Amino acid sequence: MWLALVVTGGIDPLNRIDIAMNTLTIIVFLPAMGALLCLIAPKPMIRSIAVLTSLVTFLFSLTLFSIYFGSDAGTSADVFGSTYGALHHVIRLPWITTDSINIEFFLGIDGLGFPLIILTTLVSFLSCWASWNMEKWKIGKGIRAYFILFLLLETGMLGVFVSLDFFLFYIFWELMLLPMYFLIGVWGGERREYAAIKFFLFTLAGSVLMLIALVAMFFYSGDAIAQAGGEVASAYQENVTLTHGTFDLIELATNETIQAYFSSPVTRFLSIKFAPLMFAFLFIGFAIKLPIVPFHTWLPDAHVQAPTPISMILAGVLLKMGGYGFLRLCYPIFPTGAEFWAFTLAVIGVVSIIYGALCAMAQSDFKKLVAYSSISHMGFVLLGIAVMTKAGFQGAMFQMIAHGISSPMCFFLVGVIYDRAHHREINRFGGLWMTMPKYGTMATIGFFASLGLPGMCGFIGEIWVLLGTFDAGSKYPWAYTLAIIAAFSVILTAGYILWLIRRVYLGKEKEEYAGFSDVSGREIMILAPMALLALVLGIFPMQTVFDFTNGTLDLVLAHVTNAISMIP
Amino acid sequence: MTMCLAQSNAWAGIDVTRHLFLFSPILALILTMLAIVACPIIVGRSAKTIGAVAVMGIIASFILALRVAGEVSEGGVSGLSTLPAAGLLLVDNLSIAFQIILLAFMGGVTYLWWMGSSDSEENAPEFFILLFGSAVGMALMVSTSNLLMIALAIETASLPSYAMVGFDKRDRRGAEAALKYLIFGAISAAIMLYGISLLYGMSGSLSVSVVAKHCIEALATGHDLVITMVGLMCLLAGIAFKVSAFPFHFWCPDAFEGAKVEVTTWLSVASKSAALILLARLVMVFCASISAPEAIGILSPLAWGIGIMAVMTCTLGNFAAYKQTSVKRLLAYSSIAHAGYMLMAVAVFVHPNSEHSQDGISALLTYIAIYMFMNLGAFGVVSMVVWDTGSDKLSSFTGLLRRAPLLAIPMVVCLMSLVGLPPFAGFIGKWWILVALGQLNNTLGWFLIIAAVFNTLISLYYYMRIVVHMTLRDDGQPALSFPLGGVALVNLCAIVLLAMFGLAQPMKTTSEQFTRNIFDTTTVAKTAVVDAATIQPIESVQR
Repeated sequence: MWLALVVTGGIDPLNRIDIAMNTLTIIVFLPAMGALLCLIAPKPMIRSIAVLTSLVTFLFSLTLFSIYFGSDAGTSADVFGSTYGALHHVIRLPWITTDSINIEFFLGIDGLGFPLIILTTLVSFLSCWASWNMEKWKIGKGIRAYFILFLLLETGMLGVFVSLDFFLFYIFWELMLLPMYFLIGVWGGERREYAAIKFFLFTLAGSVLMLIALVAMFFYSGDAIAQAGGEVASAYQENVTLTHGTFDLIELATNETIQAYFSSPVTRFLSIKFAPLMFAFLFIGFAIKLPIVPFHTWLPDAHVQAPTPISMILAGVLLKMGGYGFLRLCYPIFPTGAEFWAFTLAVIGVVSIIYGALCAMAQSDFKKLVAYSSISHMGFVLLGIAVMTKAGFQGAMFQMIAHGISSPMCFFLVGVIYDRAHHREINRFGGLWMTMPKYGTMATIGFFASLGLPGMCGFIGEIWVLLGTFDAGSKYPWAYTLAIIAAFSVILTAGYILWLIRRVYLGKEKEEYAGFSDVSGREIMILAPMALLALVLGIFPMQTVFDFTNGTLDLVLAHVTNAISMIP
Repeated sequence: MTMCLAQSNAWAGIDVTRHLFLFSPILALILTMLAIVACPIIVGRSAKTIGAVAVMGIIASFILALRVAGEVSEGGVSGLSTLPAAGLLLVDNLSIAFQIILLAFMGGVTYLWWMGSSDSEENAPEFFILLFGSAVGMALMVSTSNLLMIALAIETASLPSYAMVGFDKRDRRGAEAALKYLIFGAISAAIMLYGISLLYGMSGSLSVSVVAKHCIEALATGHDLVITMVGLMCLLAGIAFKVSAFPFHFWCPDAFEGAKVEVTTWLSVASKSAALILLARLVMVFCASISAPEAIGILSPLAWGIGIMAVMTCTLGNFAAYKQTSVKRLLAYSSIAHAGYMLMAVAVFVHPNSEHSQDGISALLTYIAIYMFMNLGAFGVVSMVVWDTGSDKLSSFTGLLRRAPLLAIPMVVCLMSLVGLPPFAGFIGKWWILVALGQLNNTLGWFLIIAAVFNTLISLYYYMRIVVHMTLRDDGQPALSFPLGGVALVNLCAIVLLAMFGLAQPMKTTSEQFTRNIFDTTTVAKTAVVDAATIQPIESVQR
């Protein structure tokens, strides 16, 4: 408590702690509390504590749904009102305050963060449970460290999706690195050392660019305010005047003074136009995480070497941070930068889609194939965002959620068979459906969801993005061409997935695998929610995702297009 | 002596008792040194006895420093005189803050020595005489703005350091390292003295503020420009040697590798940061000598010079650390890189009247305080590995997580803090430097920010090499035996590094308190100066 007092800046500790007991704070720090508990708990209890913690976190995050069923019930457009920056469960406490710097502990949730929070807690719970019977536990080593790191990782991930102060965002972003490094490096496969350091270096490379943008955005917003006379009213908070720069992501995006200064072509950073440059810095930081060709090379290594539950986390949640970063930082804060780079980004997106699909087709390692398919799917996210249309944004968001469900499922399916066969050579498998009928059914659902079969979740995201891209043809003539090329990738996707299913699951039953037990009860319990969601999201896209996100997404888009239309 | 004092009117009106009180931390160090000299005659040469005397001396000095700091932060003493009569010694917030850090660190090093050497060391009195001697030199380095005193203080700090590096005379590597260190040190001291003589010759004064005025005039008018700049660069070279800045860093890896771990720890933090504070003080005097805030641009060649030196130091240190297999040597290069980061904070040249006048210097102070814990922790672990395995090769760290988890975990924390990764204090240290550079809002500032963050990225790899050896690899070496006190020390360092991240706010407030009044030129009357008395005789001799 004393520490909390010092950390939050001093005054009135009890009151502050009352304020700090906010739903979001609890969600974010519950896993960290669980990690502390794991530190002192006796060894046999650790697994249960960790799984329970992640389950409680998941259940608790479900209470966030109440914002949609309260007095202003309805979709996110009703809940979050008509301006970008309307948030729920807001908590702001001063953290580091000096004469000129005001870093806040500022959390809040809107239609961008909400679905990703639910996704994170769900995938974390499932993968925590999936860690129950890892092979390494049989020799009894490292179980404590593993679950502590796992829960710290979850805190970092949740923090990223709810922090609205850029500095805090950055801290949470970096907080994930070290746990992830050790989770891959200690518990990974053969080449884990290489994969872990590669992941670390790539991500840190992105973060240092983000750090430059962090410092630059703060001081340039300060300049903007100084030029406007030193005092500017806050864009969305009542009775607040800005006298210095700010780290507040909503303020940076919506304050007209700051926006005008950021997007002015006269504003230069080392004699380069400010908005396009900062957009590029942030973009590269997030693109490495997403990942996008040519920053993707860490992903196949990390995914393949990581243990199954960590691959699930990587694919299910970590990749989404890139997309979230675009929508939270790049586009709202630097709309003119977005316009400047639109064509390049769309092309990179399409290249990622095609390149990822072609690479996936060439793989003989089961896990690597799924990893490359992620690159292809994330290409849709970038394409959808880059074209800046309603359907594009919505499709990108949906694609993130859909991929967050289908890819952990695929990785878990690979893990299930790897546990039994101890290899991942696609060509050595065959006829598994005959041997393991339940597993075969689940696998078909998972891979068809990933393929984008109509009626499954993967389809909605892709088709929305393609529609959005066609839609953009009215403002960007090149969009038609790109949409057509991207549409053809569906054939490639179908190609590698169907070929995969034929080689692994169909055909004659093989002698080697004859004695394999079908999926266990625990495995079914992990797969079932994902399989169910893959179907439900595909059948009821509005009710499951779009209703919760579209309001905010449309506001972001309106904000962006409005800013672009102001360019002389 | 009394006559002398009576005749010199410079002493008139000066409260000698008060001045003795202000310098009491340094005096306490000197007295302890004398006590250690006397100890072998009176109570014998036992290492434990000598160690106890030393510890008592450090504690006494530390308490005195805290008391002086209490006075200073109340505003009783402050200010950096820009008058020509600036004295040989001065005590202000900054110097006392550094003395506190220095003494705390000295306590840590002594503790480390106690753990490792107190049983076998035969020459404890000599070791502590040297340690205290160099500490006195470093404390003096930060408490002066007089060229003569600068030269004296640097020599007082350096000479014992040479001997400490080669302290174990049976160790050939140590002897070689000491010789290298001595040769570099002697040459750079000669260059610095030459520079000082030039500056003295041009300006007719040893006071830095007068020299600064003269230099600024030379920059503005072009009159005597070359000779002034040469003098200034020679002076800078002498200080850069102590900082181990590029291109004066060659001694550093050899000396650090050859010396005992305690000595390496001591040199890596204390001597570098003392020189950095000294340099920062020179920069401040230069900035304070500019009349109008707009005219600060005239100093930009100096700012760029230090800035580029910082970037080179940083980059070189980081790249050279890549291939090292000796962890001591690797950490030596890392300390070069960190000197580079800290030099960046020194490159913040702002006018004292500007809103951000103390950002650079308070960032530097914060960084030094954090850096002390990072290096104490990292070298503490290295020393315990060396005591047990007899080698500081990377391979003797393999599997440390299994062999000694209570050493491996704090080591990871210290190393990641050295990288500058949240949630460890190293990030906060770097952050304030970045903020100070961002406040400049000019090309130099952004250039240095970009250089700093990319260097962070470069440095990750070699720090991770140690982490990889400790945590990811295991070749079945036997478990490590280590003193429990040492484990307590390194774990304490790790906890402090975590806590300092949370306490970013109070730390910043404190360091701003300690740097608040240093630019204040209005309170010169209160400034503690042992006045120009000692300068005048020199001039009168000349006449």
